[in-house]
Amino acid sequence: MIDRDAMRDFYDDYYTTLDDVRLEEWPAFFTENCLYRVIPRENFEAGYTLSTIFAESRGMLIDRVMGVTKTQMFAPRYYRRFPGPLRIVSRDGDSVRTRHNLLVVQTLIDKKTDIVLSAVCHDLIIPDEDRLRFRERIVVFDSEMIPNSLIYPA
Amino acid sequence: MNTISRIWPDDANGKVPYWVYSDPDIYAAELQRIWYGPHWLFCALEAEIPNVGDFKTTTLGERPVIVVRSAPTEVSVVENRCAHRGVKFCQARKGHVKDLLCPYHQWNYSLRGDLQGAPFRRGVRGQGGMPPDFDPKNHSLRKLKVEVVNGLVWATFSDETPPFRDYLGERFWQHYTRVYDGRKLEVLGYNRQHIPGNWKLMQENIKDPYHASLLHVFFVTFGLFRADQKSATEVDPTGRHGILISRTGKQEVNDVTSTMRNYKNDIRLADPRILDVVKEFPDDDAVGMITVFPSVVLQQNINSLSIRSIVPTGPGGFDFHWTHWCYADDTPEMRLRRTRQANLFGPAGFVSADDGEIIAMSQEGFAKSPDEDGLVIMGGRDIESVDHMVTEVGIRGMYRYWREVMGPL
Repeated sequence: MIDRDAMRDFYDDYYTTLDDVRLEEWPAFFTENCLYRVIPRENFEAGYTLSTIFAESRGMLIDRVMGVTKTQMFAPRYYRRFPGPLRIVSRDGDSVRTRHNLLVVQTLIDKKTDIVLSAVCHDLIIPDEDRLRFRERIVVFDSEMIPNSLIYPA
Repeated sequence: MNTISRIWPDDANGKVPYWVYSDPDIYAAELQRIWYGPHWLFCALEAEIPNVGDFKTTTLGERPVIVVRSAPTEVSVVENRCAHRGVKFCQARKGHVKDLLCPYHQWNYSLRGDLQGAPFRRGVRGQGGMPPDFDPKNHSLRKLKVEVVNGLVWATFSDETPPFRDYLGERFWQHYTRVYDGRKLEVLGYNRQHIPGNWKLMQENIKDPYHASLLHVFFVTFGLFRADQKSATEVDPTGRHGILISRTGKQEVNDVTSTMRNYKNDIRLADPRILDVVKEFPDDDAVGMITVFPSVVLQQNINSLSIRSIVPTGPGGFDFHWTHWCYADDTPEMRLRRTRQANLFGPAGFVSADDGEIIAMSQEGFAKSPDEDGLVIMGGRDIESVDHMVTEVGIRGMYRYWREVMGPL
């Protein structure tokens, strides 16, 4: 059984990795077959699957990192993620469903800090190859109007 | 109406002065002459309001409107502004109603926007009430002219706007009906972003294949849109509408890609399902990006179909609403394919995020230099459709039309 401390360490590690922009380490937090969505609340509630970011495998997450680091053009910025208290929703065997709120803020050069996403994360975590991994991570954001771009993952 | 005191540069087709993007008087005149003038504005997919009483709210120019199915075969578009005291009374994005009701004084309108009831009109116990000259017929919601064209709802504030098909012109009617061919459509989902740049920059962006073949490394590298591919850049006779057409190519080093510093032969996709493209239209064109002036981009880019609507919020910004859709008879596999390919587009799109970023950088670059000019002479100074993408003809065409409507300038 995954205990709460292990889960807390997993999330701390995940968010530190992203805040430090160690993007090449990010896909390893997910199982080979996984589901990752960053999706507007209006789509989620209407049952639409169209997402702002959508991946069905660790490979697609690797491609997302390749896209951001090697193909996309964007102004430099800092992202910082503020997760709220973690709630364990259910357990099924070794897997755990959790939810927590997430605020993602960005700071562009010479600009005030902006909220990029105000979201809730619905995650499914499983033990995989001697560590914990996301089998599913669905980030549902309330934000009605993204301030221009969403560059880095949540 | 404000008079415009600005002078257009001498090289009329070849230059665009930067005041068009930042002058508040120009912006105010654009709202009146373009957005509230004789132009069709995109409102909704018919599929968003299938039943009588279904509505959605949106914004045309800067004005909030309600798009409502008022009869089984009729869609009405009315301003979301009570005829009594001006309240934007409908705050929901979508819903279903029997009538339109303002919560302030309970004025109540039919689905077509006619005033049906104003409480205490005849007073209470002989006191108050509306004066005898009050006639409900004079106090309906402002109604827009509407056309529903193969699944899309269009509206205009002006009585002088020609029928939608004439507005597009015959050639662009063919482009429109290639994708909007009368089949039923369904919504796949939405994306919304605010881009801190003038609204015309979004129109320019999709009229400018020169940049697409250079800025968008993802397109260039995987051969989705690149200067060595068979392509066309068309403008309608007025210059206001445009389309970029392209066939796809390969990730290959050739005489053109070898000269492009943004072509990357060494990157590979770990999971290439995003590029699992199927041919679905009778011709061989893989991309058809239509700009319908002034409000919308109709995207057919590989199998990703979307409608991107522009809502100006001042000279220096606009909201950008994406409605991704599919055909109602699409298989689950096709829906998944379109959903997957949507990773290329929207605020986090491998390609489209570049556009929001470059538009913001453009606005930052010229906002404080209104008297300088930008150059749009790639491909010459003519305004004629061409069978390649090394051109800025679409931008030249739009500004020739813009000068006619706004001036003459």
